[in-house]
Amino acid sequence: MTTAGPSPDRPATGAGRAAPPRPTAAAWARENLFNNRHNSVLTVLLGAGLVVLVIYGARFLFVTGQWEPVRTNLTLLMMGTFPREEQWRIVVQVYLLCASVGLLWGGLTASSRDRARDAGVPFSRARLRDGVRRWWPVFVLLAVLLGMTRTWLPLAFVASALALGVAARRVMEALPEAGRRAAWFGAGVCALAGWQVLSGTGGIAWWWGSALVAAAVVRLTRNVRTDARWQPLARLTLVAGAVAVVWAVYAQLDFGGVGWDDWSGFQLNLVAAAASIVLAFPVGLLAAVGRRSQLPAVRWLSVGYIEVIRGVPLITLLFMGDLFLGFFLPTEDPLSKVTRAIAVMTLFTGAYLAEIVRGGLQAVPRGQVEAAQAIGLSAPRVLSLIVLPQALRAVIPALVGQFINLFKDSTLLSIIALTEILRIRESIHGQREFLIVGIAETLVFVAFAFWALAFTMSRESQRLERRLGVGER
Amino acid sequence: MTNTEPTNGAARPMVTLEGVDKYFGSFQALRDINLSVARQEVVVVLGPSGSGKSTLIRCVNRLEHHDRGRITVDGIELSNDVKAIRQVRRLTGMVFQQFNLFPHLTVLDNITLAPRQVRRMPRHEAEELAMQLLERVKIPEQARKYPGQLSGGQQQRVAIARSLATEPHVMMFDEPTSALDPEMIKEVLDVMQELARSGMTMICVTHEMGFAREVASRVVFMDEGEIVEIGSPEHFFTDPAEERTKRFMEQIL
Repeated sequence: MTTAGPSPDRPATGAGRAAPPRPTAAAWARENLFNNRHNSVLTVLLGAGLVVLVIYGARFLFVTGQWEPVRTNLTLLMMGTFPREEQWRIVVQVYLLCASVGLLWGGLTASSRDRARDAGVPFSRARLRDGVRRWWPVFVLLAVLLGMTRTWLPLAFVASALALGVAARRVMEALPEAGRRAAWFGAGVCALAGWQVLSGTGGIAWWWGSALVAAAVVRLTRNVRTDARWQPLARLTLVAGAVAVVWAVYAQLDFGGVGWDDWSGFQLNLVAAAASIVLAFPVGLLAAVGRRSQLPAVRWLSVGYIEVIRGVPLITLLFMGDLFLGFFLPTEDPLSKVTRAIAVMTLFTGAYLAEIVRGGLQAVPRGQVEAAQAIGLSAPRVLSLIVLPQALRAVIPALVGQFINLFKDSTLLSIIALTEILRIRESIHGQREFLIVGIAETLVFVAFAFWALAFTMSRESQRLERRLGVGER
Repeated sequence: MTNTEPTNGAARPMVTLEGVDKYFGSFQALRDINLSVARQEVVVVLGPSGSGKSTLIRCVNRLEHHDRGRITVDGIELSNDVKAIRQVRRLTGMVFQQFNLFPHLTVLDNITLAPRQVRRMPRHEAEELAMQLLERVKIPEQARKYPGQLSGGQQQRVAIARSLATEPHVMMFDEPTSALDPEMIKEVLDVMQELARSGMTMICVTHEMGFAREVASRVVFMDEGEIVEIGSPEHFFTDPAEERTKRFMEQIL
């Protein structure tokens, strides 16, 4: 995002006349704020209001605001009742996650760099500075959190984690293409390892690890080409064997760990939202495609799911999930409260995503499908290679909007007695010294934490939209 | 019912339609179509709009299903059998009026998609093939661009290259120049002419009379879903037999 200067390949039009000079601030104000009497009055009134608002806001933030309840309970707000002696697990997980994200980021940068090189288009690498500018709300949130802590340790932790991410990105960018392919798996392994250290070997880690190993086997055997008819069977056996090994190893391992049933505070909001987003996406995709299926049974099932869920309030669904989802499941030990809540949020969001994706599917011209069929693509490939990429690209803003909603709706978990951040905030005012102290301040803090992340998501989706050129091609 | 058992390839017609009817609801789009296209033949289909020309060729690769009659491509009969349909689509290439390039893929990826996905060709082989095809349609320098960055004529030439990438036995063109600006029509027709000269079997729906006259081995005239007349271009442009054909030719020329 550089300002467009005079470029040599775009000659000035109009017989060498230069572009009109940028107006001075005073000229701009005269032109736009005080160009007639009505506008001048409006400007003065609104300006005065703005000034008052800023003064009051600043006074609240820096002078009268009683931030002691937030400061004292910062750890509680962030991770609730997470066992304090297990905090190192979070630290390790954050490091591994940063490494993983750094690798992914570097990989994306490197591949778009290569694409730009192939296409002969200039490429400007996003620098850390750009990252800070794009993600500034997150950095402000981090600064607020660090500013409230009384020791240097958190600062050192955040700085080193960021440095690790940046370093991982550098490494990934410097790798040749073959090495990068391996490093993609490295990113997955880092994320998996982080998850395992935090929550132990169980539940999701099993599936995640299996998926990773299966993907690796498929990838490694992809270029082995024989015409033998047993080849698909052999590959399937290999994949199954690798997955079996993973499960066997996991059965022997016990890292210990704190499962998400014992998580609370903002961490719970983040994890519940992230898990639901990741899980709801395929659910929504399936339901959207199912709704357009030729098979009546599939179509009716999809329509039924979508319309039932969309017609019921989320709070009702959460209560239902909390009270009797367990009855329908044929397991001895019922799913934990958090798992059930995530399942409900996933189903809820999936139905909305399905409708969004359906809109995208309808926006793909019929000729695209015909052209894909005409070159002999099978129906699943027509969908996955031609229709879905275009459909999803068209609905990015709506998708991200739904994700933001889901993230904010995670506060509703408080009404089924999960101790997410809003509930923790309530409990803070049960402490004797904060009974009537800083009630507004704690709310403002919670609001700010959500705003910083939601606003960043929104900005990033706009950026993604611009980059993919929605509405242009 | 003659061509049921496979005879030796050269004698067998490439495409046959026997007594084909096609309905859209209660509207009859094709009426008792009988047509046989020989190997290396270039058949141009003419007719007023709504006469069923496009429907005819779209039935040949089963973008539309026919309601009665028999359609075979290189000896394979079209039915509801998915395998047969995919086989036929592999043997036929189709070029559309609106190009229908995949806007989210580069030119190169548009062309390599079918070889890689359908014929399971490794990437570098498929890209080599794609570059050869782009040379053939004379735009190798555009390989890494996206369709949206190309002119209409260039896009249509990419679409032709994309169809050729499946190494089809017969190419079908559905008004390939109708959406183009006049100055770009020639570059597409040149490519089509070169293709015809190389011995490709072609069925073209087009309004380009010059192309029909120079390149066609036979011209088919359709009206209201029927084949009115089939004959050599010579016959059509000088002395058409049917009244309806005469009227159409007068309007066009």
